[in-house]
Amino acid sequence: MCARCYELSRRSLLVGGGATAAALSTGIADARILPKDMLPLVGPGYRPTEKDEQGIWQLMDRAEEEIAGSNLLMTDPKLTGYLKDLIGKVGGPAARDFRIYLAHIPDFNAMMFPTGFAVVFSGLLLRMRNEAQLAGVIAHESGHFLRRHMIRSWRDQRRKTDIFAIAAMAAGVGGAAGGVYLGDYVQLAQLGTILSLFQYSRQMEAEADAMGARLIAEAGYEPVEMSNIWQQLIGEETASARYRRKRRRRGSLFDTHPSEGSRMADLKADALEVKDPGRTYEVGRERYLATIGGIRPLLLDDQVKLNDPGASQYLIETLAQDGWNGLLRYYEGEVWRLRNRHGDDARAALSYASAVSYPDAPADAWRWHGISLMKAGRNAEAKSAFARYLTMKPDATDAAWVRQMIG
Amino acid sequence: MNRLTKLALAAVSVPALGACSSIGTGEYGFSSYALVGVRRVNVGDGSLTVTPPRPYNRHRSFLWSDVQDVEDWTQNGPYLDGISFVSGLKSGRYLIRQSKRADQQVPKFRSDMTPPEIVAMLESLYRVKGGAVEFRTLSLQPRPFLGTGGFQLDYEHLDSDELWRKGRAVGAVINGQLYLILFDAARSHYYGTILPDFESIVASAQLRR
Repeated sequence: MCARCYELSRRSLLVGGGATAAALSTGIADARILPKDMLPLVGPGYRPTEKDEQGIWQLMDRAEEEIAGSNLLMTDPKLTGYLKDLIGKVGGPAARDFRIYLAHIPDFNAMMFPTGFAVVFSGLLLRMRNEAQLAGVIAHESGHFLRRHMIRSWRDQRRKTDIFAIAAMAAGVGGAAGGVYLGDYVQLAQLGTILSLFQYSRQMEAEADAMGARLIAEAGYEPVEMSNIWQQLIGEETASARYRRKRRRRGSLFDTHPSEGSRMADLKADALEVKDPGRTYEVGRERYLATIGGIRPLLLDDQVKLNDPGASQYLIETLAQDGWNGLLRYYEGEVWRLRNRHGDDARAALSYASAVSYPDAPADAWRWHGISLMKAGRNAEAKSAFARYLTMKPDATDAAWVRQMIG
Repeated sequence: MNRLTKLALAAVSVPALGACSSIGTGEYGFSSYALVGVRRVNVGDGSLTVTPPRPYNRHRSFLWSDVQDVEDWTQNGPYLDGISFVSGLKSGRYLIRQSKRADQQVPKFRSDMTPPEIVAMLESLYRVKGGAVEFRTLSLQPRPFLGTGGFQLDYEHLDSDELWRKGRAVGAVINGQLYLILFDAARSHYYGTILPDFESIVASAQLRR
């Protein structure tokens, strides 16, 4: 059963081990890095002039070619155009040089490559509550490029150890076919290998935070949203770990990021500092929802079916702070049904029943409502729920089975 | 030959001699292949028997792998095609071995599961353990299996290695236990080539009394 699983776990262990070793060697930033000191080290149209950096750029161009052709990318022009516009707003002097790709991967992650292309995971779009938050993550990643963190980290690693050489990196890029997995289940070409070579220090993460706060404030976004993102991520990871009765582990995006307490405090202080008195700053929630709303069911589906009930429930409740609806109630039911502990079937049934009372209830909510009723022996009601499901979704892929249930 | 290979080969000889041996694929451990001839053979824990239309490779994992009700076969290697047998999974059990503390988990089987719930369990298996980033149910329909009312699921999924795979599962819950034969292969070429084998195997399936 699932013969590839073994390979997946083995590879993720290897990558995980490498990342841990690198993380141990990172330093700790002592004093807060001030946004006003974060001047971009890169201007428009930057090209490297030194040999080692030119070599990295050559390899990264190949990596970008592969990523740009990956069938894991989401190519809806509405979404990709939106991301491009955002990085154009918060990308500082390099704004016009950046490229940004959206990968269909249900994880909280975004990354910037040394040549100025960024990859955003679709799971990020589920977790951001407004445009300012998404702009904050993109600005943070832009900060890494503008402060030349990749080449600085590369040179730093070379100084410390000899194991990283251009040749080793070339092997990694060339080995794309074999693939390296990032996180527990994700492979996007050779991202894992490449990223393991650019471990940012805490100092660099603090710089990217300060730079990011400054960039989004300059673009007119509410900078305090930067610290809200961080708070949401901690909340999600804590909720996930609590369900599995273990301590929270740190997520991939923030493995080497500054310690939580100081980071929150620093981001709040940054937010105050970068604001001009008298200027208004927006969060852009309506614009965000208008753009992302269409794929929210897909994003929720991707998340909930991973059966990580703590994280999924936390995310649903976070989104429900803006109001419960049929979609969110339906996915709440899905979380309980997949968790499948004692009593969860009754919890799920309640959620489905609640979901179908909203006008925006998805067709699938009616189907699962019907199945719950059927299992409870309420056959007449079940049949009418199934009929409603088929009316809403006449070409449902399971129509033949549902018709059999209706009898 | 390195030490691990020797160990794996030593391990293979033990269950191969056993009467109704097979070990499901788990998260860790070693694996090896054994030949399945064209004759009636017991699969899984031995409660299900099938006759393959041509020789197959039985894929086995060792150590830390204790799902005895699951067995995997392949023609061209598990990345390209695979047929899995679930021979009477009991209520409360899992299709694969997984850590109770893993953040993301494949749901456990329950004897009162309806076909859509079994489909959801399989979907989570592919998403959680197989690295699928997209999973599409193509059709779910009633289909007789092992002399009872069962179901047939057709599906396809895009995995993190950027390959589309396609599958068909035929199953039924009998006396509260899940019996399932599942075929999953690269969508281009391999699925179409091996589907007739799968259908022939499903048609040959019998419960061992």
